[in-house]
Order: sequence, then C-alpha cells, then structure tokens
Amino acid sequence: MTVPTDARAPGAGPILELRNLAKNYGPVLALKPASLAFNYDEIHAIVGENGAGKSTLIKLLTGVIRRSSGEIYWNGNLVALDTPQEAIDHGINAVHQEVVLCRHLTVAANIFLGDETVRFGLLQKREMTREAQRVLDGMGFDIPAGAPLGDLTIGQQQLVATARASLRGTKFLIFDEPTAYLTRQEAAQLFALIRRLREQGVTIVYISHRLEEVFELADRVTVLRDGNLVGTRNIGDTTETELVSMMINRSIEQIYHKETVPFGEVLLETRDLSGRGFEDISITVRRGEIVGLYGLIGAGRSEFAMSVFGRNPKTAGQILWKGQPVDIRNERQAIALGIAMAPESRRDQGLNLNMSIGFNLNLPIYDRLTHGFLLSGREEAERADRQIADLAIKTPSRRTLASSMSGGNQQKVVIGKWLNHGADLFIFDEPTVGVDVGTKAEIYRLLAELLKKGAGIIMISSYLPEVYELADTLHVFRSRRLVGSNGFHQVSHEDVLAEAIGV
Amino acid sequence: MTTPEIASIEAVRKRRNYSFLFALTLLGLLVLLWAILAFATPNFLTQRNIPNLMRQGSMIAILALGQTFVIITAGIDLSVGAIAGFCTVVIALLIQAGIPVWLAILLTLLVGLGIGIFHAFGITKMGLPPFIITLATLTSLRGIGLLMTNGATINITNKDFTGFATLDFLGIPSLFWMVIVVAIPSHIFLQHTRWGRYIFAVGSNPESARLSGVRVRLIIYLAYSLSAVFAAFVGVLLAARIGIGNATQADGWELQAIASTVIGGTSLFGAVGSVQGPLIGAFILATINNGANLLNVNSFWQRIITGGLIILIVFFDQLRRRNR
Repeated sequence: MTVPTDARAPGAGPILELRNLAKNYGPVLALKPASLAFNYDEIHAIVGENGAGKSTLIKLLTGVIRRSSGEIYWNGNLVALDTPQEAIDHGINAVHQEVVLCRHLTVAANIFLGDETVRFGLLQKREMTREAQRVLDGMGFDIPAGAPLGDLTIGQQQLVATARASLRGTKFLIFDEPTAYLTRQEAAQLFALIRRLREQGVTIVYISHRLEEVFELADRVTVLRDGNLVGTRNIGDTTETELVSMMINRSIEQIYHKETVPFGEVLLETRDLSGRGFEDISITVRRGEIVGLYGLIGAGRSEFAMSVFGRNPKTAGQILWKGQPVDIRNERQAIALGIAMAPESRRDQGLNLNMSIGFNLNLPIYDRLTHGFLLSGREEAERADRQIADLAIKTPSRRTLASSMSGGNQQKVVIGKWLNHGADLFIFDEPTVGVDVGTKAEIYRLLAELLKKGAGIIMISSYLPEVYELADTLHVFRSRRLVGSNGFHQVSHEDVLAEAIGV
Repeated sequence: MTTPEIASIEAVRKRRNYSFLFALTLLGLLVLLWAILAFATPNFLTQRNIPNLMRQGSMIAILALGQTFVIITAGIDLSVGAIAGFCTVVIALLIQAGIPVWLAILLTLLVGLGIGIFHAFGITKMGLPPFIITLATLTSLRGIGLLMTNGATINITNKDFTGFATLDFLGIPSLFWMVIVVAIPSHIFLQHTRWGRYIFAVGSNPESARLSGVRVRLIIYLAYSLSAVFAAFVGVLLAARIGIGNATQADGWELQAIASTVIGGTSLFGAVGSVQGPLIGAFILATINNGANLLNVNSFWQRIITGGLIILIVFFDQLRRRNR
C-alpha cells in the first residue's frame, strides 16, 4: 500500500517513512508488512479495533520493540530505531494512555526529569518551577507547577505528560488514546496544544477509538485491521461510515463456528447490578446460550463480570442464580455455585506463569485429587495429560512451564483448567487476544462443545467480529453502562460499533 | 511451529536436568568442603567434631526449612532468630515453674504458632509488607524476652531436658535426628499435598491462585505459622543445648537461615524451592564456620566467606535463569 502522492504536503518529503515494516511474535503476525509515510506538520490519526496492530506500531516507532523486517526512514535516512533512547534522540516521543511519571515528585520535577537545571551541583528547584509554570501557562494548562503530581487528576497528569513530551526538541509526537481520562474541557485544551504543536512543525500521530475526535483534529487518517494496514485517507475525502467499514472485516471468516442449541433454564440473572466500574447492568444467561459483552476497554464489561465472579463486590442490585437470589462475596462462592472465569489477562490473572502446565490445569481441582492427606501424583498426571490431549495443547510435556508457551496455548490452559473443574456458567474475558487464527477457531469450537453439554457462556470481547458472529445475545457497554442489547444478527456491525463508540 | 517446539523440548530437558544437577552440585560442594577440611586439618574428621558440626548445622537447617515455606510464597520472615531466642526464655520459665517437659514444649510451640498467626494477620489484614511486620517482631520479641527475665539468664536445671541435646542415637546426634523428623513431613507436605501446591501457587501469582479458588489468605497464615513454629522448636532445642533461657540467644540466625535457603536454590521472588536445598545449604554454612574455626581462620573472615558464597551461588543460579 503506498500513500497517494496528492496527500503529501507540497514541497516536503515525509519526516518518517515505513517501508514494508512488519512485526511477528513467533508465528503470530502482530503487524503485517506495512508502508506508510508521515509528513511534516501534519496530524495523522490511526484508528482500528483492539488488536488491530496500533500499539505494535507505536512500540515500533518508539523503539520499545524491534521490527522483524522492513525499513524505517527518518528524514530520508535509514534508521534502526532499536532502542527507546534512539527514538528520543531523533525527536520521536510518545504520550501514553497510562501516565508513566513519578507521582511523588512535583509537576516541575516531572517535566524536567532527566534534564534538570543544575548550578554548582545543586538542583535549581525554584528556577525549574518557574520555568515549568511558564511552559504550562504558555500551553494554556491551569496546573500549579509546584504541586505533587499525585495531587492532580488523571486528566491533568495526562496534560503534564504531554507538556513533558512536547519539550526538548520533539519533532514527532505520538498520542495513544490521550482523551480516555480527560474531561471535555481538558480535551479541548489538549486539542489546542496539538494544533499549536503542528504549527510549530511537529508531526503528530493521534491514536484513538473516537472517530469524532479524528474528524475534529486530523489531516489524514490510517486504518488498521487485524495487523493489516487497510488504507490512508485525507480527512476531507472520507466519512465515518467509510472508516467504520474499513475497521471491520466484512467477510465473515470460516473460523466462526456457531452451534445453535435450544436454550435451557436461566442460569444467571442480574438486576440493576452496580459496582466499581459499572452501573445498572441487567442481563440473563441461559443454558445453551452465548451472551456477548462488547465494548471498548474500560467500558465496564470486565468489572461487571468480575463482580459476578465475586472478585469485585457489587454495591447495588441483585444477582439471581438459577432463580434464587445469591450474595456472591468471593471467588470460592462463585466457583461453588458453578461459575468459572477465564480472566482478561493471562499473564496477571489467568496463569501461574513460572509453574508447569500440569500445575495450572489442576490448580482448581487439587482438592479432588487429594485422598486422605496426600495428593495422587498419578491422577494429577492423568488429568493434566488428558486435558493436554483433548485441547491439543502443543507442549512437549505437562512439566513445561506455562511461560514458555505461545499465547494461544496459554489461553487453552486458562480455559482447560475450568474444563477440568467443570461449571454451569463459563465467563470468557477476551479469550482470543493475542491468539492466532487457527487457535481462535479451536477455541470457538470449544465454546460450541460447552453449549452442547448444557453450559451457558458469557463472552467478553473487544473484537467485534467474534462476538457478532457467536453471541446469541449481544450487549454493548459504553462508559460503564449497557447501551444496547441485540439478538443474533439483529443489527449490523456498524450499528454495534456505533453504539460502543457513541457516534 | 516445529522449531519452537523442538527448542522447548530441549529447554524442558535442560531444566529438569538442571534442578537435579543443582541439588547434586550443592551436595558435591558439601562433600568437597569436607574432603578439603579432612586433609587440611587432623581435627575435622573426628568423633568429637563431626557430631558437633551436625549439632551446629541442625538448628539453622530447621529455621531454614520453615523460612522456605514463607519464601516460596514470595514473602520473608526476619523474626525466626528472635523467635528462637525468645522461646528459650519461654521454655526455661515453664520448666522452672515445674510444668512437665512435654507440656512445656507444647506450650512453647503454641507461643510460636501465635507469633506466626500475628505475622499473617499483619500481612493479610493490616496490609503490612512481610519484611516490615517480621522486622517489628524481630526487635520487639527480644525486648519482651528481656523484660520477662529482667535481663537475667535463666538456668534450666532439668537434666532430662538438657541431656537430650547431647544424646546420640545410632551414632547420630539427637539434634540431627530432629532435622530428619521435621524434614520428611515437610517434604511430603510441600511436594505431595494440595497445601504444598497452593503455597507455590500463591508465590507464583496470588491473583491467578485466588481466581482459581485458592484461599490465598489461609495459605499466608499457614506459611508464616509453619515458619514461626519451626523457629519455636529451634528455641526448644537451643535451650536444651545451652541449658539456659536468654532472649539474646540465636542472634543473627535469621540471616543464616535466609542464606541457607537461598544457597539451597529457593528464589526470593517466590514459587521456586525445595526441602532438600535449604538443608544442604545450612550444612554448607555450618561446615564453613566449623572449618574456619579449626583452621584458626579469623572469625571475621567467616562472615566474609559466607557473603561471598551467597553472591557466587545466587549469581550462578541467575545465569542459568537468564540462559533459559
């Protein structure tokens, strides 16, 4: 894919050009060979669903990860961009969604961190505070430079991070979902700053889910989907509808294996359930049903599911299990009722990474493998080997450490430990993130098997095609609330995405 | 897909060989030290010295074992030396009060249990880091022990009790038998029960353990209770050996116990450890101290050698982890 020449600023070559840049993790292609040019003083938006390859692209541009193949040209010169320091030396900087600054230091100290004003070996704190205040005022931010960063709101911290990144000779500045935590007013200040930076000749890369921001701010927009660079448009030549259709893969892939099973009894019902991160959620799950929860990350889906699983206590509302009101106060109660949870983060929640595969598979059932006081080593081995065979987990042995497997096989272990345990209701949170297409298909077939055995499933996903094609009922979350509930293929892809984004 | 698979098969084989080799290397190091000392000094391989060395090593070995449970949960117990010292006072006072020895021992172990429960309470309910809560008891237990005796040393006059430490059985000192009595159930507990599995689970990822239905807090209580009870038991043995109760005894033993544990291949990041490793580690340290005494090496050097050894062994352990 080449950039149309008419989109370039007249008389200027690109400041940064990617030629066939690609990144793979083992057999998984995170970014397929992509060519793209960023011009001087443009605001270039990059949009795409979660997992489309946006964060891979940012990490490549900021030197956090190394490219697998392809070339990067900076001002026409071939560069390596192998380390973050090299990127910074060129003038490439990024403002991340999560603020990565020191909360205990003052705003001024953060802005000048690593570049302090020193006289006779002593920090010139007062001078730095004055200078920082001047910078902040100049940017139109109403933030006291002497305050500890931790005393500011998350949004204000984000603005401080922006101020820091836009100093020290930055020529190329990447924003990753910068408005996620900002109030409307703070966002307006940020947009004003971004436009000012462009006038000063800084190239801006702006990554966002929110299409309305893209149309407000960007000069050009590039769409990524499933690690593919789908296309680049001048903002005046495109519409929201076109971008949405570019973001979604139209062709329904063969990988979605939908099993239609007659619905049975109602397993779970929530009535106006509220808790930290979600409000007034009412859903039901029946046997034989896949209930999809779609929404952007942070929309409240996982928090809601964790509450049903007893990890995140509810503050209001009611949970009914098989028609009876229940008060699920911890995970063990949820498990005892017959609820299983394959959580969102394999690394942080789902796996004991530095333990063996067999250990992970058996962790929920060690009580059943115990006879008298002792564990049966033979049963332990049998159960693990059976799951490994049933799920076709590719591993040399049950003794292999979970950390040494690919994402897809790790996910199979996370799911496998609950198949090992058994449950009536399975909650799968982002079950296919970082999983290759073949394993995805296997996981979908696994869901179908569970349905046939009479289980109910809650499937949480940021990847619209999979919930759209698999869920019998699709609930859409936005900003902690349920904003839409649709039957299977009742509404279009575009409508669902529009509900989630709020356009 | 084939290349990574083959690579990981080799990695597994290497890893399994490694943990076996590591234990063997440690044992080899111990034997080597003994061989060197046997040649270097006529006083090493003697009927007097070897049992003495075993007695010296035994108490640190039991402390190290208890410590291992805690370290596998990715915690630390700095108080074990202080518990041992404090418990010499407890048992001395109990015996002095005319309580039967068996009951006195039981009560002392219960005191240890109480301290362990307090540690776990501080960690799980008050949210204190293990380092802090056990550091606090490290200093205060010695203070409490000194208060209870007004700073004095209590002599234990019960000959049956103090005689136990000098007993031999089948030519092996009774104190070393105590190591065996503690180590075998510990090994079974750690490797062949679900509770042992849960200790590893909590150490490797408490969140995943919790979401898998493991009672993480209970496991924390279990680990710190075991460590403290083992330390109380060492206090009983120490009181029998030296025949007195004094809260300043066992000074610095917590560091020797931690050193033994680490030398024995336990990872301070949790989820890696065994029973045999810390035992061998403790006897390596005891041999170094003993050998240095016999060779008339300045006792200050013993400390330096111990420090160097810790760096060396953990460095080699890190090397293989990086290579993996």
